[in-house]
Amino acid sequence: MEKTGAEILLQTLREEGVDVIFGYPGANSLPIHDSLNNSPIRHYLVRHEQAAAHAADGYARATGKVGVCMGTSGPGATNLVTGIATAYMDSTPMVVLTGQVTTELLGSDAFQETDIIGITLPITKHSYLVSDPGEVESTVKQAFEIARSGRPGPVLIDLPRNVMAAKCEQSGVKNIAMPKKRHAGNKKNGEELQRIATYMNRSERPVILIGGGVKLSQACEELAGLIEKGNIPFVSTMMGIGSVYTLNGFNLGFIGTHGNELANRIVHDSDFILTIGARFSDRSTAIVKEFAPLATIAQVDIDPSSIGKVITADISLVCDIREALTKLTPLVERKERSGWLKRIEKERNALGKDRSMKECGPAGAFIRDVQTAMPEKTIAITDVGLNQIWTVRSWEAKTPRGMITPGGLGTMGFGLPAAMGVKIAVPDHGVVVFTGDGGFFMNIQELATISYYNLPVKIVVFNNGHLGMIRQMQDLFYGARFTDIELGDKVDIVAVARGFGIQADKVSVENSGAGIEKMCSADGPFLLEVVVDPDTYVFPIIPPGMSNIDMIGGRQG
Amino acid sequence: MEMRERIIAILVSNKPGVLSRVTGVFGRLGYNIESLCVAETISPEVSRITSITNANSDFIEKVKKQLNRLVDVMDVTELIPGQSAQREMILIGIDLDQKDRTEIVRSIGMFDCKIISMRSNYCIIQVAGSREEVETVINFLRPFGIDKVARTGVLALRYKDRSS
Ligand SMILES: Cc1ncc(C[n+]2csc(CCOP(=O)(O)OP(=O)(O)O)c2C)c(N)n1
Repeated sequence: MEKTGAEILLQTLREEGVDVIFGYPGANSLPIHDSLNNSPIRHYLVRHEQAAAHAADGYARATGKVGVCMGTSGPGATNLVTGIATAYMDSTPMVVLTGQVTTELLGSDAFQETDIIGITLPITKHSYLVSDPGEVESTVKQAFEIARSGRPGPVLIDLPRNVMAAKCEQSGVKNIAMPKKRHAGNKKNGEELQRIATYMNRSERPVILIGGGVKLSQACEELAGLIEKGNIPFVSTMMGIGSVYTLNGFNLGFIGTHGNELANRIVHDSDFILTIGARFSDRSTAIVKEFAPLATIAQVDIDPSSIGKVITADISLVCDIREALTKLTPLVERKERSGWLKRIEKERNALGKDRSMKECGPAGAFIRDVQTAMPEKTIAITDVGLNQIWTVRSWEAKTPRGMITPGGLGTMGFGLPAAMGVKIAVPDHGVVVFTGDGGFFMNIQELATISYYNLPVKIVVFNNGHLGMIRQMQDLFYGARFTDIELGDKVDIVAVARGFGIQADKVSVENSGAGIEKMCSADGPFLLEVVVDPDTYVFPIIPPGMSNIDMIGGRQG
Repeated sequence: MEMRERIIAILVSNKPGVLSRVTGVFGRLGYNIESLCVAETISPEVSRITSITNANSDFIEKVKKQLNRLVDVMDVTELIPGQSAQREMILIGIDLDQKDRTEIVRSIGMFDCKIISMRSNYCIIQVAGSREEVETVINFLRPFGIDKVARTGVLALRYKDRSS
C-alpha cells in the first residue's frame, strides 16, 4: 500500500518504541503534524523549541530511551540548537526531527530555510537530509541505532516538506546497512583487562573514578559488584553521581571545581585510578598537570576519542563498560585495604562529617528537607549555577537516574523544560526541579506548557536576585567588582506563576518548612520561590588555574 | 615534537556532505589541510581521501580518533614515507615566445613530462611524479614564466608485503 513520507516516518518511530514527541509546528513540518492525528504517538506542544529539545533530553535521561523532539525549518530548527548541544555534551540518546523547505527550493535562501545540518555538524553524532520518501524508513532506523549505540548522542533528520507529503510504496526495510568500520574491536582487550586487574590487586591506594558513561551503559550493578569485591573507594564526576548509591561507605563524593574536598584530596593521594566512562573534563581535573600526581591511571570507555584526550592513560581499554566490568570483577582479588580505608576515614573525620551541610549552608539544608518531604521515588533536576552545586551536593541520588543535571554544556534554562520531559517519561515518580532566578527566566515560558498539560512538577526557584555563581566568581577572582549580575527584586515570581495558572508560594530559605509542606502536598504543579541571601556561595571551590587540592574554603595544608 | 608533513588516507562513504564533515574535524582541531585528494575507489560507494597536514606527531592520534567518530568514516591510516608510494600530478601553463618554445620542447625531455597542449603562445605541460620530482620541474620552468599551476595534491598507497 502506498503511504506518505510522514506516515512512514511515524510508523517507523512507533517501531522504534517512540511514544512521545516534544515539538512545535510550522509550515514545513505540517505534513508530519497532519499525520500525527492518526498516530498513537503523543505530541507535547511546548512554548519554545529549545524547551522541546531539553524535554526530550530529560525524557531520555530519565528512561534510557531515545528522546525525540521536532521543530519546523528555519527558526524552529535554530531554536533547537542549544538543546542539541546540551544533549551532545552529555551523550544523551536523542533524535531531532526538523522540517525543511521542499527539495526544489533547497539552497535558494527560501523562506524559513536554514542549513540546519551545517549548523549542527559539530554538535550531532550524525545527521541526514532525506530526499525521497523511500529512504525514510531506513534513515529513521539508522538514526535510532546511531543515537543509542556506542557513546550515545543526538542524531538529526532534516525532512523536506514535499518528501513528507509524497507517497511511495513502503518497502519494509529489514536490515539497515551502515558503513562498516575497519579495524573495529581491539584484539588486545584481554591483556589490558588483566593489566588493570594486576594494578588494582597490587595497588595500595586505589580509587575508582565514575563518569556519566556508567549510567549510559547501564553498568551500575556490575560496578557496585566490583567495588564491593575489591573494597575500593570511589569518586565520581558530576555526571557520574548516583551511579552507585548502595555502597555509601565507599563513596567519597564528586571531584572537580565544585566537588567534595574529600574526593579531591583522596584522588590526589591515590596510587591507582580506574576511570570508567569519564572523559576528564576540565571541570573535573582542574589543572591537568597536577591531577593525581602519584597515580597510575587506567581508563575504560566505549569511545576511543575520550581516551588520552586530556590525561594520558597508562592503561586504556576501549570497550562497552558493562562488558568490561563483567570480565574484570572475577580478576580482581578480594582485599581488606584496611590501611587505606582507615586513612580515608581519618581524612573524612578531619574534614568534618557534616561538612557538606556547612558548605551549602541553608540552601543545602532546604534541599535535604525537600527530599525528605517528597516521595522516595523522586527525580531531582537541576539548572545551572549555585543552585546546581547545592543540589548535586545535597540531594542524595538513590538511583542512577535519580538526579539529572546538564553537566557538560552547563546550560542555564535546562531545568524547567527537562523536568517536564522527566515527568512525562515517568509519571509515577515525583519530579522536582531546582533552579536559580536567572535560569528560571531563561525558559519561563514553559510554565505555560506545565500548566496546560497539568504536569505535577515541583518547581523550586532560588531567588537571590543575582546571577549567583557569576557573582561568586566576581567576588573571589575579580576583586569584588560586581557588574552585570543583578537581576533585582522587581518581579513578583509568585504572581507570575499564578498568572500562568500554577499554584505558588514564597518563603525564605531559613524558614521554609510550611512552604515545603504546601508544595509537596499540592496536587498538580507548584512553584516555590525561595529567597536566598546573595552571599550564600559554594565552598570550597577550586580557583581557575589551580589544582584539585587548592580549594578556597578548604582545609589548609 | 617534530613538525612535518603527515599524510592521512581516509576511506569514507561516497555521499553528499561527507567531505565537509571530514574537513570540519581538521578545522575544529586547528589544523590546516595543505593538500586534499578525493575520488571514488574501486567500490563506487567508497571514496578515498588523501590529505596532507603539517603537524606534530600527536596530530595523528587526535585526528584519527575524531575522524573515527564520524559514522561515514570507515578507515583512517597514516601513510609513512618509505612505506608508501606517493605521487602527485600537476599541470603547468606557460606563456611562450618562439625562442622558449624550442628550448622547452628540447629540455623537457630530461624530465618525465608531457606536453599536452601547444599553441602559438601558450603551452600546458603535465608532470607526474614524487613531490621532489614535481618541484624540480616547477623550479626548472620558473624562468620561462609560469602562468598557472594546477596540482592534484599527493596521492599515496601503502606498500603491501606478502605477509601483511
Ligand atoms: C545559557 C547560559 N548563559 C550563561 C551562563 C553562565 N552562567 C553560569 S552560572 C550563571 C549564573 C546563574 O544564575 P542563576 O540562574 O540566578 O543561578 P544561581 O547561580 O544564582 O543559583 C551564569 C550566568 C550559562 N551557564 N548558561
